[in-house]
Amino acid sequence: MYANKKYLTIAWILVLPALLIRGFTTIYPIFETFRISFFDIKILRGINQFVGFQNYVNIFHDSKLLEAINFTAIFVVGSMIGHILLGIVLALILNMKFGGQKILRTIVLLPWALPMVVVAIASKWAFNNDYGLINDFVRRFNPSFHMDWLINTDTARIAVIAVDLWKDLPFFAILVLASLQFISSDMYEAAKVDGAGSIRSFFKITLPLISRNIFVLSIFFTMWRITSFDVVYAMTAGGPGNSTDLIAYRITTEAFTNLNTGYSAAMAVTLFFVMAILSGLSLYASKKVDY
Amino acid sequence: MLPKEYNNRLDAERAVSNPAQKKVLSRKYKNLLLHSFKWLLALLVAFIILFPIWWIFTSSISPAGELFKKPIKYFPDHPTLASYKYLIEYVGLLPKIRDTLIIVGLTLVVSTIVSLLAAYGFARFKSKGLSIAVSILLGSMLIPEVVTARPLYEFLQTVKLYDTYTGLIIVYTSGILPFTILILQNFLKDIPASIEEAAAIDGCGFFQTMFYVVIPLMRPAIATVCIVNFVTCLNNFFTPLFYSNGISVLATAITQLPLRDNMYSIPWDLVSAMGFLIIFPIIIFVSIFQKQIMEGIIAGGVKG
Repeated sequence: MYANKKYLTIAWILVLPALLIRGFTTIYPIFETFRISFFDIKILRGINQFVGFQNYVNIFHDSKLLEAINFTAIFVVGSMIGHILLGIVLALILNMKFGGQKILRTIVLLPWALPMVVVAIASKWAFNNDYGLINDFVRRFNPSFHMDWLINTDTARIAVIAVDLWKDLPFFAILVLASLQFISSDMYEAAKVDGAGSIRSFFKITLPLISRNIFVLSIFFTMWRITSFDVVYAMTAGGPGNSTDLIAYRITTEAFTNLNTGYSAAMAVTLFFVMAILSGLSLYASKKVDY
Repeated sequence: MLPKEYNNRLDAERAVSNPAQKKVLSRKYKNLLLHSFKWLLALLVAFIILFPIWWIFTSSISPAGELFKKPIKYFPDHPTLASYKYLIEYVGLLPKIRDTLIIVGLTLVVSTIVSLLAAYGFARFKSKGLSIAVSILLGSMLIPEVVTARPLYEFLQTVKLYDTYTGLIIVYTSGILPFTILILQNFLKDIPASIEEAAAIDGCGFFQTMFYVVIPLMRPAIATVCIVNFVTCLNNFFTPLFYSNGISVLATAITQLPLRDNMYSIPWDLVSAMGFLIIFPIIIFVSIFQKQIMEGIIAGGVKG
């Protein structure tokens, strides 16, 4: 429409508010994060001096951070395996043709719509040994069952991943469902005529056709997992010890509780580069990967 | 003519030996089996999702004492609204609800207007600068909140917007802008510009065209993004946690409830009541707008 150059001023006026808001809340702060990552800033002790790459070097000697990286890796991998396997199953369930389809889809939307912090804080109680929902359920079958989920490292980790799956798996499944619906039913008809059973047509038609979408989705979901914060904040606060400490939680603790801003900025910048690499990968994948 | 009995016998024999009929029977049986299997799966999924929510609800109306009894009573003997009353009287529930509604409501208004203008600018005008601007804007979606948190906190304090409605609304808006612009822009690209040109020829000014032509056409897209953004904003925990202190929305308030003097670190009677207060409107909302929400997250997720 408005190809004429003089209209471009109007265009810039239209997009300006959005650019200003994003500029001040993300672009400016990220440059600021870069800058302060080269300073040793300890607000409590009034220290503020240029230290070059010292903060980045410290990252490799920080046992708390290494523990956080370790759990973040476990969390991301564990949760993503669950997302992909159970997500496909749930998507197939949502795609079933039967009388309850609409209401089932509504129910499945609920966990997505609930605030993670509410889910996480309720989970903290749900995993309580004495009065929690989980153990109460298990005790209906095995009355002597006893488990302090959030006190032991391994079970606390399992619990955090389980809660993350409960909350986010439905969202993943709905996106998989969308790509399932793109597959034309002619394909299945043709396969049926050729004598393929439903299991065979799932592996030969459905899976190859949705795998590219699942791959791209998985990169996004992985990125969201890496920056997850609320689940651990409200459920375990990183405990027991630091065994469920996620990187994002570590960064905010360092920035807002320990007030060690320079160092937290260095961690943040590193995280940012990891995310940038992943998003580059996803861009590449969504263009190149084809089955 | 055959004797009547013979005819009957023939029928009976046919019924047993007719393979077509046998197939119909077995298909019916198979269908029934398949159908009950589907319902079984659906019920399992529904149970896993709904049961914890039901548990939060019953906990919220159980007297505090009953929460410390084994096994859990999923239908409390003496339902009570005491926890809700306590929240209203001692925790200041109503001001928190008001704050939440003000922030989320105004964020929706501001973000919709800002995104509409920007989406229009990006969809209808072409220049190198604009296309760089749109890729920076959409690319900034990938910057994690934790990376910018501390500098943004200090920036908001310098410009005196920390812990103000204005500051919070700006940060909330910023969080949903890229998604909203992306969806609205894609929708706008499908509307032929010739409609607006016709309006311009008929003498409509820019704002008239916007109000009488563009916005009515975009109503479904606007509704979808508003519905999804409403849920996103209600669920936003990071922004109020770090950029406000006195202003307290429900999502952060639930983590700051007064501890009771027991060995367990959360006051479950109050947490469940407040949790259910947050959950209940969302359940109603999702049931009403299921279709739009699905469309919205699919449009944002698959294309994004």
